[in-house]
Amino acid sequence: MCNILVVMRFLVFIILCLLLAACDGGLAPSPPVELGFSGTVYFAPGTWPSDSLVNLWIFASQVYPLDSAKVYSGLFASPTTIFLYPSITESLKPFYADSIPYSFPLHSGTYKYIGVIQQTDADLAGLGIRVFRVVGFYKDPLNPLLPGVVEVNDSLQVKGININVDFRNPPPQPF
Amino acid sequence: MKNPLFHIILIFLLNVTYARPNTGSITGIVSDVKTQEPLAGVNVILRGTVRGATTDVQGKYMLTGIPAGIFDISFSLIGYTTQTIQKVSVQPDTTLYLDVSLTQAPIRTEQVVITASRREQSLRDVPVSVSTVTSKMIADRLSVTLDDALRYVPGVNMMSDQVNIRGSTGYSRGVGSRVLILIDGLPFITGDTGEINWETFPMFQIDRIEVVKGAGSALYGSSALGGVINVITKEISELPEIRFRLFSGIYDKPSYSKWDWSSSPRFNTGGYLSYSNRIGPFGYLVSVSRTVDESYRENDVYHRWGFYSKFNYDFSQSRNINLMTNIQWRSHGNYFWWKSLDEPTRPADSQLNGNVNSVRGNVSLAYKEILSDQFFYSLKAIYFGNFWQDDSSGRVNNTSAAHLTQLEAQGTYTTSSANILTFGIAANYDRVYSDIFGSHPGIGAAFFLQDELTPFQSLKLTAGIRYDWQIIWKKIFSSPAATSPSQFNPKIGLMFSLDPITTFRASYGGGFRYPSISELFTSVSTGVSEIRIVPNDSLKPERSVSFEIGGSRWFSDHVFLDFALFQSDYYDLIEAGVNPNKFEILFSNVTRARIRGIEAGIKTNWFSQLISTDFSYTYIDPVDLSNNSVLRFRPRHLFYASLTGNYRQLRAEVNFRYVSRVEAIDENLVRLAPIVDGDQRVACKVVDAGITYNLINAGLPLSIGLTVKNLANYYYAELIGNLAPLRTYYLSVEGSL
Repeated sequence: MCNILVVMRFLVFIILCLLLAACDGGLAPSPPVELGFSGTVYFAPGTWPSDSLVNLWIFASQVYPLDSAKVYSGLFASPTTIFLYPSITESLKPFYADSIPYSFPLHSGTYKYIGVIQQTDADLAGLGIRVFRVVGFYKDPLNPLLPGVVEVNDSLQVKGININVDFRNPPPQPF
Repeated sequence: MKNPLFHIILIFLLNVTYARPNTGSITGIVSDVKTQEPLAGVNVILRGTVRGATTDVQGKYMLTGIPAGIFDISFSLIGYTTQTIQKVSVQPDTTLYLDVSLTQAPIRTEQVVITASRREQSLRDVPVSVSTVTSKMIADRLSVTLDDALRYVPGVNMMSDQVNIRGSTGYSRGVGSRVLILIDGLPFITGDTGEINWETFPMFQIDRIEVVKGAGSALYGSSALGGVINVITKEISELPEIRFRLFSGIYDKPSYSKWDWSSSPRFNTGGYLSYSNRIGPFGYLVSVSRTVDESYRENDVYHRWGFYSKFNYDFSQSRNINLMTNIQWRSHGNYFWWKSLDEPTRPADSQLNGNVNSVRGNVSLAYKEILSDQFFYSLKAIYFGNFWQDDSSGRVNNTSAAHLTQLEAQGTYTTSSANILTFGIAANYDRVYSDIFGSHPGIGAAFFLQDELTPFQSLKLTAGIRYDWQIIWKKIFSSPAATSPSQFNPKIGLMFSLDPITTFRASYGGGFRYPSISELFTSVSTGVSEIRIVPNDSLKPERSVSFEIGGSRWFSDHVFLDFALFQSDYYDLIEAGVNPNKFEILFSNVTRARIRGIEAGIKTNWFSQLISTDFSYTYIDPVDLSNNSVLRFRPRHLFYASLTGNYRQLRAEVNFRYVSRVEAIDENLVRLAPIVDGDQRVACKVVDAGITYNLINAGLPLSIGLTVKNLANYYYAELIGNLAPLRTYYLSVEGSL
């Protein structure tokens, strides 16, 4: 009888240990985050420009297609329809990184054109919009020739908005 | 337990339809000496011959066509002391009734396996690590598909639908299994993608599953890099028998409201029904199955219909033929990976409306003839058809039809009591028609030879070799793919019995895998981003070399210990490499790997098997020697534990499995798919529990079971971006008439 009790106690102890091990829950949803979307910008190796890179921004436009007039009004008029990620330049210094993760805080809405824009000259006042060019955009998973549309709603941050940038082969320019 | 009605029917059948000249028969019932319960699955062997039988669920066995003479007959079953009845006299045209009672014994002896040497032999004579899963374990754990039945096999872990034996496979994106699977000894790998289709196996008709660890191409050819899994189907019962199993499960709600996508409960239900009978020399079994899994994930629904039949005809006491057909219709929603860890029960938007319809099945024919008590041979043929079509909202609409036919002839010659030769030839013809793989024919041939020597009673030596040759053409009547056509694979084994309770083993073996047609010729847009898979018809076969030493010993009649040290070297492993600049996926021979490890198992039983436990631990050190890093998709630690209690008609079981967090995954796959939160993974720590009550004492040939899978509702992902099943409650009923 003594042996039985010893064995039973030992086995019950093992069972409890195993149950406890499985009770830590495992995977869980990510904690609450700011509204917007996030992802990674990937840069094609060896394509970084040596002399024409003043700045880089991630942008999100609620308007597509774009033209020069819409860019100006979208950026500076009210209501704003084109949003710039505020700190990509700082995040990327020094340049020549292979990739950079980002999280773009935005209010809810539909974003029809998301990409990375390069400023090629410091003379913003003189050259105007000509100092900018789009060097990569988030593509529609079903049709990579078109920009992907991202819905930001009021409960989740949209993840996986990855953008491939190839400075030598920029996509068609919207302006 | 001696049923007079059974004897009367048996006498009638034997006298009317089954009498044969100059031969006799032996029949009877095997039961537990203490409980008098009938024992199923007892191996009944006519010593010194190749004849044998297995008891059915009512404990009945029958040996027929025995030449008149004096024989020793042994009765063995796991957990019972083997009993040998000596000098049994068989008279012509008579049936001898021999009922036997076995005594429960702590020592596990004489378990018979067939896969390690292509012939029946005692497990203690096998020079490699072998694990078995019995039909009872499948029923007790309510395993609906074959992969589910393998989740507690020591050294084995599943990565979604890909099986790893001691880290052999990893995750190869659904193509090219590095473990060979057999059904009744014949390869059962799909002809197009070279993968294992787990759902096609007739779960209700499985007698046992044998898992042989380490390279096994010296006997079985391509795909046996990491091991061989042999699914052995049940024999046809000697008397009419109806069997059925019904189950219904309900998935629990996830703990997080974000994950709860369905307003209604999700069920997983199914049923199996079979009938078998024997009329003289003709036996038959027909079975139908229906399972519907509504799934805990959106657009992950399974609907399956299955039909299975087996026919047997005994031409004489020494010749018989078996015909098996097995077909499965399936409709399955597309679910490749989750939307994100915030919504892991929903697929990515692009997969939301897709589904795959498939018809898969096989027809196999096996003829066996015993020419003498020293020599017998078998001829086998199998056709495996695999047809599927996917429909993903019009985005991708791919089809594939793969026809794989394999032939095999094998002879086993016992030259003396100390020497057994096994030899044979095999051939295969493969034809694939697919809009993504192309249309490619392939042929192959092989021969194999194995010699088993017993120079001393305590020492057994095994040596064997197999030559394989295969060609796959790019197109019919065109040049072949550049893959190397010839492969030689050796095996050497040693088994030494120090005493009746202590054995040591050592083995060395080679393995290889021809690249599948899908790896050679796939040319398709993935439908995801702008990534394309491009063909590479210059792939070489993957190769492996395995070495193992191990041993086993009983301690104090209650404890059985088994251990093994192993090392496998892999060459030219095929990986799907991603070129991010070209947005192309290309299969190529890139990886040289080495996997070393240890495996230890300890089984105990207490109080006349009132309580038994089973623990196993496997440590794996998976190294990618190509870049001196951890090999991807391999867990480092596997720990499985099982506790079983039996009291009268009540049986309870708790199982736990721990699979450590995979250290390295394919980052490119996560990035380019993209799989949001695809890098999120944890260790697997799952508890399954079940309780079964047998109503036989109440006069009902039924057992009722309650099973809870993932009792603690632990959330984990076996494969990146795939939440494993939530806690599920099952109620089941099984019976036979």
